[in-house]
Amino acid sequence: METTFDSLLLGFSVALRPDVLWYAFLGCLVGTLVGILPGIGPLAGISILLPLTFGLDATKAIVMLAGIYYGSQYGGSTTSILLRIPGEAASVMTCIDGNAMARKGRAGAALCIAAVGSWIAGTFGVVVLTFVAPPLATFALRFGPPEYTALLVLGLIFLAYMSTSSLVRTLLMAALGLLLGTIGIDVMTGHFRYSFNIPELGDGIGIVPVAVGLFGLGEILATPSHQVTGEVAPPRLRELWPNREEWRQSAMPIARGSVLGFLIGIIPGSAHIISSFMSYALEKRISKHPEEFGKGAVAGVAGPESANNAASTGAFVPMLALGIPTGPVTAVLIAALLVHGVPPGPTLVNDHPNVFWGFVASMYVGNLMLLALNLPLVGVFVTILRIPYAYLYPLIVMFCVIGVYEVNHSIVDVWIMLIMGVVGYGLKKFGFDPAPLVLGLVIAPLFEMSLRQSLIMSDGTWMIFLQRPISLVLLAASAGLLMLSAVSAVLRRRDWRAKLAQAEAGEQP
Amino acid sequence: MPREGKGEAVTLRTDHVAGGAFVAFGLLVFALSGDLPFGTVSEPGAGMLPKLAAGLMMLFAVLIIIGARASEPFATINWGDGGHAALVVVITFVAVWFYQWLGFLLTMSLLVFALLALIERRNLLRAAAYSIVVTLFAYWLFGKALKSPLEHGLLWF
Repeated sequence: METTFDSLLLGFSVALRPDVLWYAFLGCLVGTLVGILPGIGPLAGISILLPLTFGLDATKAIVMLAGIYYGSQYGGSTTSILLRIPGEAASVMTCIDGNAMARKGRAGAALCIAAVGSWIAGTFGVVVLTFVAPPLATFALRFGPPEYTALLVLGLIFLAYMSTSSLVRTLLMAALGLLLGTIGIDVMTGHFRYSFNIPELGDGIGIVPVAVGLFGLGEILATPSHQVTGEVAPPRLRELWPNREEWRQSAMPIARGSVLGFLIGIIPGSAHIISSFMSYALEKRISKHPEEFGKGAVAGVAGPESANNAASTGAFVPMLALGIPTGPVTAVLIAALLVHGVPPGPTLVNDHPNVFWGFVASMYVGNLMLLALNLPLVGVFVTILRIPYAYLYPLIVMFCVIGVYEVNHSIVDVWIMLIMGVVGYGLKKFGFDPAPLVLGLVIAPLFEMSLRQSLIMSDGTWMIFLQRPISLVLLAASAGLLMLSAVSAVLRRRDWRAKLAQAEAGEQP
Repeated sequence: MPREGKGEAVTLRTDHVAGGAFVAFGLLVFALSGDLPFGTVSEPGAGMLPKLAAGLMMLFAVLIIIGARASEPFATINWGDGGHAALVVVITFVAVWFYQWLGFLLTMSLLVFALLALIERRNLLRAAAYSIVVTLFAYWLFGKALKSPLEHGLLWF
């Protein structure tokens, strides 16, 4: 415990440096804007802005990019409450009661509860992260190739289980991602795989062009400007403070949302989206007045907003401690750390304490900054929502092209981004979620390396995965999840995933 | 959902098309993997994971085709945004094609202008002014503030 506090002090000595503070502020500001603007989510935002961090050191880069991630969770609520359009996917649930509160003239109170709930949940998440990540990293030092293989399998199965689309569709996307991840030179044998004599493909397909194409350009292709409309009136500052009854009604949902969100955040999948739905469902179930949900229930704003912020912090635990992404956003953050020569994982705490603890401490500061940004400046952010989408998306297309090109100064990457944009558009039309594809792409090199090393170690027997206790437990958990999914499919049970899919489609569950 | 009994024509559904496309893609991957050795279990080769992943992808695609009856008919897909999507892709394609030759300033201002003028039918003067201002801002941000080398192209600055 004492060591943790000493390390945290080291972290604050890094995070409170004026230059680091500046980049934390920039990240939070850009993240809020990314969250507010419909059509550009945290993943596309982080991917497009990744090249901006190339001139920075690893600490400033990760502090800024993480600020964009958790800042977007704050910003998403503004658009949801004022326009009933989710600024980003995790704010879908906030649309329902947040906008109902706004229509009752309580927009200011809804925004304030969302911001305060987000701050409490975000800070709670960072506190738990502070104490959980280092021991988990120490434990992960026991992992060899079979354990990593089993952990990655569990991650993919968990992602498929938690997905709102079907298990088969999710696994298909993950398999496609794994396949794309094998493009390039095989590091163990030197074979060129599917590179078609294009030298740039020798290094494989980068995550940035794929993520920007699927989530940035793909979204723009599917959103003609005439579909984006909305009149918005900013609330006045004096209307921001909730009354005593609203505070009372939001206290417990914030507490429950924080705990639930953090726990779900650790699990692979689109945790911040799932957590907000789970929190909404929980609050509705335990409420004494469930009939108020959908008509402006305070708990319907406080719970989901807290949960999605806690989840976005929880997702950093496996990323920092194990070096494993739980979703596409953490995958891009891992890529960002690797670009700066800092491999995340069990050795990060000891090898790069400044980066690890500076990052953790910056999240305490960042959450405070976001609270200070989001409440007084809500009027300014709302003004941005008035920029017509017809003028906004050409700007985003330009940033997609520059962002991707600047990573490697490779025009091939831009072609890949364009192709992925078309693929993303097609996947959307046919009801496929592209997130598992990105995750598959990111874990492919690690998965392939650990799988092949395991098989070489065992002299060709697959039993090695069942002979080692940690990998056995992880694979047993994977099998359990597959069985649970099979039971659900056989009984055709309409569980929470079906309800979340319905909510994401814009219908009230 | 209408049932397709004996004697009725089978309706082409979205999952038939999607699953079929993934099976075809998997077959293409196998066709392109001829020179990649699968290896043995004790000495896995460079072709092991790609072939396993392609095989799994085809398996899941077949499962999707088998369960396709639950999906929407292919004819019901709304392609109303297709024109917008196609125009954005074509304009971006042309911009990327000329990017290294024309350079950052010319290409990006033409890209933004084309999107505004051709797709959004905005006032040409306003579209031109907007595209020049945002391109100059991006040039300052990337090229000057962040000292990221941008393509010079014809203009040499």
